[in-house]
Amino acid sequence: MAEGEDRRQVTVRLVALQATTVVLFTALAIGFWYLQIVQHARFEEMAENNHQRALALRAPRGVLFDRNSKVLVENRHSFTISIVREHTKDLDRTVQLLAAVASLDPRQVKQIVDQHRGEPAYRPIVVVEDASLAQVAAITARRLDYELPDVVVEEVPTRRYPTDALAAHLFGYVGEASDAQVGQGLASSGSIVGQSGVERVYNKLLMGEDGARRVVVNSVGREIRTLEEVAPKEGRRVQLTIDYDLQKAAEDGFRNAGFNGAALIMDPNNGEVLSLVSLPSYDPNDFAAGIDRATWAALNTDKLRPLQNRVIQGRYSPGSTFKIVVATAALEEGLVTPDFKVNCSGGANFFGRYFKCHLKGGHGVMDMRHAIEKSCNVYFYTLGNMLGVDKIHKWAENLGLAGKTGIDLPNEQESIVPSTEWKRQRTGEKWYAGETISVSIGQGQVSVTPAGMAAMISTVANGGTRITPHVVKAIDDGTGWKDVPPPAVASRIAFRPDTLSALHDGLWMVVNAAGTGARGRLAGRDVSGKTGTAQVISLQGRERARGSGQDLRDHGWFVFFAPKDNPQIAGVIFAEHGEHGYLGAPIAKHVIETYFAKKEGKPLPMLQPTVPARPEADPDSPPAIPPSAPPVARVGGTPNGV
Amino acid sequence: MFERRLYHHIDWAMMAALLALCGIGLVQIYSATGGATRVYFTQIYGILIGLVALLATLSIDYRTLADKSHVIYIGVVALLVYVLFFGAVRGGSRRWIDLGVFNLQPSEFAKMAVALVLAKLFGESRRGPVTRADVLIAGALTAVPLLIVARQPDLGTAVTMLPVLLVIAFVAGMPMRVFGILALAAVLVAPVAWKFALKDYQKERISTFMDPEQDARGAGYQQIQARITVGSGGLWGKGFTKGTQGQLRFLPVAHNDFIFSVLAEEQGLVGVLVALGLYLFVILRAIEAARLAKDRLGAYLVLGVLASFTFQVVYNITMSAGLAPVKGLTLPLMSYGGSSMIATLAGFGLILNVRMRRFTN
Repeated sequence: MAEGEDRRQVTVRLVALQATTVVLFTALAIGFWYLQIVQHARFEEMAENNHQRALALRAPRGVLFDRNSKVLVENRHSFTISIVREHTKDLDRTVQLLAAVASLDPRQVKQIVDQHRGEPAYRPIVVVEDASLAQVAAITARRLDYELPDVVVEEVPTRRYPTDALAAHLFGYVGEASDAQVGQGLASSGSIVGQSGVERVYNKLLMGEDGARRVVVNSVGREIRTLEEVAPKEGRRVQLTIDYDLQKAAEDGFRNAGFNGAALIMDPNNGEVLSLVSLPSYDPNDFAAGIDRATWAALNTDKLRPLQNRVIQGRYSPGSTFKIVVATAALEEGLVTPDFKVNCSGGANFFGRYFKCHLKGGHGVMDMRHAIEKSCNVYFYTLGNMLGVDKIHKWAENLGLAGKTGIDLPNEQESIVPSTEWKRQRTGEKWYAGETISVSIGQGQVSVTPAGMAAMISTVANGGTRITPHVVKAIDDGTGWKDVPPPAVASRIAFRPDTLSALHDGLWMVVNAAGTGARGRLAGRDVSGKTGTAQVISLQGRERARGSGQDLRDHGWFVFFAPKDNPQIAGVIFAEHGEHGYLGAPIAKHVIETYFAKKEGKPLPMLQPTVPARPEADPDSPPAIPPSAPPVARVGGTPNGV
Repeated sequence: MFERRLYHHIDWAMMAALLALCGIGLVQIYSATGGATRVYFTQIYGILIGLVALLATLSIDYRTLADKSHVIYIGVVALLVYVLFFGAVRGGSRRWIDLGVFNLQPSEFAKMAVALVLAKLFGESRRGPVTRADVLIAGALTAVPLLIVARQPDLGTAVTMLPVLLVIAFVAGMPMRVFGILALAAVLVAPVAWKFALKDYQKERISTFMDPEQDARGAGYQQIQARITVGSGGLWGKGFTKGTQGQLRFLPVAHNDFIFSVLAEEQGLVGVLVALGLYLFVILRAIEAARLAKDRLGAYLVLGVLASFTFQVVYNITMSAGLAPVKGLTLPLMSYGGSSMIATLAGFGLILNVRMRRFTN
């Protein structure tokens, strides 16, 4: 074979190689042109999504102050540990490692992650709220080792409530927005919103606006630099009508006496709530950083129902305190004058049945003032019989006891004072006049909240103006404090002067003369009030329930205002299973004493530990109602309402 | 040995192009690794040693080297066997000889040895057209180092030896039907290889390439990130050290396998076209050297060296754009790597050698 031909073949094949190379490189150039020019916008966006993250900056909730600008609820910093699945390569590995490092139960972590599986991958799933410093340190070390690139530790503002669960039911608590709340557009998923109390009612003001930070992160999720930051806007500062010292005085009073129960104390002239107590309580701090299952379950299954705000959600039989309503009704309807006298011989017959007074021998002949002072049942049976249930209902409503008070707290229950209409709607039956007799001493189907009682005594104290209790005094809208106008007065009826003086005198005598409220007496303060005992269960029921372990002791009421003329403070003490109304009076006394001491710049009173009370006759104890009285024999209110 | 007049025949244009590519690579390594780090300086030493190696392979007449090709070949194979048993292990494979200062990767030099021995085999042949025996011997000579390297395992480098054999055989006049038979054999062997020869991670890489989204966090991740890196560069690029993908390590081993992606991100299509142009220029210039070669030995030697180089360049750049399965193949002249740089420049020493000596006897 000729050398030339060989050479020619080599040349041909070399040209083929050259051509192949050129074609390959042209193809590459076209490929790059396609990616870098044609598809540029798309890839540029993807590159940005790769390395830019928008982090939510949680806004601190608005600070709550008391009426004297003392800070009640503020914010502290806490750490949350979250998984950002966007960066996750192996979720199970991350869960296992995270659980091991932070000493968590891997199954629980998995469960939390599974709950949020449907959310976008870039949104952090919070695994630990309020992490301990040890946890934070352990996680941070692993992050530096690139072992947990998909786990982030964030510092977030968290609610701090006063110690000892002070005013817990007033403040309420916060929690992650529920699906329903997210659905209603109240909050975005994962945000913290008020779930109860003031936190809930004023959530919109308190929540503030979350900020955002756009950061550059590298492939392991570490932040390299911040591109832009929109600072979070702190929630509005809110001044409550509460007085810290009075709140504390009331709670101390309950603790000192060893009662659970409720108290609502306010300014009877404008409805500003000075103190709101519901015991037993819960610690809102437990909720601030997400409540753990065990605590939540314990709170929910507790027979004493610590989550219930007894002030507005507990309904109880008012007992003798209801006599104030009956007296007001009889006087204002013009049926009697304060001089109207009834002879009490220890009981009386109505509609063929004998209704007892609590004093066996009877009170003898008494007028209105003394009947109130002595809490004479026969006197009020007589008034009730003259009035009829509908007039009693009308005046209960006028005094603010029936229905809701309209306080700015969530889930208030209605106080029930029966009427013929009410019974017909409820049961379809007509009202028996005999039932009115029980109602006139606060028995029967009367079932009221402590808030309703506080509204009632305030109306009596101020002479007929039905104010609405409220807890917010002023709001800082960012430009300074603006007073919140008090809610509209529900009704304004000027009581006749003789009505007012008879009521005020009678109630003054309860405390300062021979009445049942002597334990509330305070020199120079003219405390006026009325005790009452709410039967938890009838005498027959008590027999049946014996040994069931239920607390069957009666509840005690004390409604009060002070001073008698131009009252400045009014309220109710409800002592759950306190047995006697008069045992609530010392709590009221302590609050009133604190109120005036503070007002006059004197040192606040200290509570002396109580010596066990010497048993004394309780005129408020409900009279035994004959078993033969079918429609009347309704037992006192159920402790926890309906 | 080195005659002064030969100096005038050195292909300075090619030298310039080679140095330009090394320079571009160095700049992008600087950017991708965050400054004048150890990696950056190692690369500079690699280039300098490579230039010395280039001078060495340039100085000795390629015919002398070809005469000693069997010695070189046996020496390299011996080194490969040594590595297989005593080499340093990194990332699960045994490829390196630990020399203290740096690690030597003999497989990089195996390509050159194969090119030499095959050029010698076909170039010295005076029996006219390539015979079946030639092909079989050539195949065996290629297979020995290839299989050893594949055992390390380093399938990427092993495969780069195949183009050496194919291109030399092709230009040496191997009948086209033999290529046809080889292609047919490859098609038949492929499923068997899939089943028995490939490791799981290798299979995964290939199946992932077909559909990167199926495993966007795992094996497909690099490929998707490579496309994002290149695509986001646009026409003019994000600027030196301004690339987010490379700088923030979304792209793994950016200074190594994916150096071209970093170039594309920071210098844009313009930078890509410059680099592609330089590579194309070098390759065409080398083919020109083969055409001009005084003898067939020289031509085959040039093409043998060039074949693995070109294959690696084209494959790596394709992969850098996320258009080929991710394989641990570096980009010659630009990627970080001492052995690769030295071997590549030494190889170009041979190419320059052949061109320079086209007039000598």
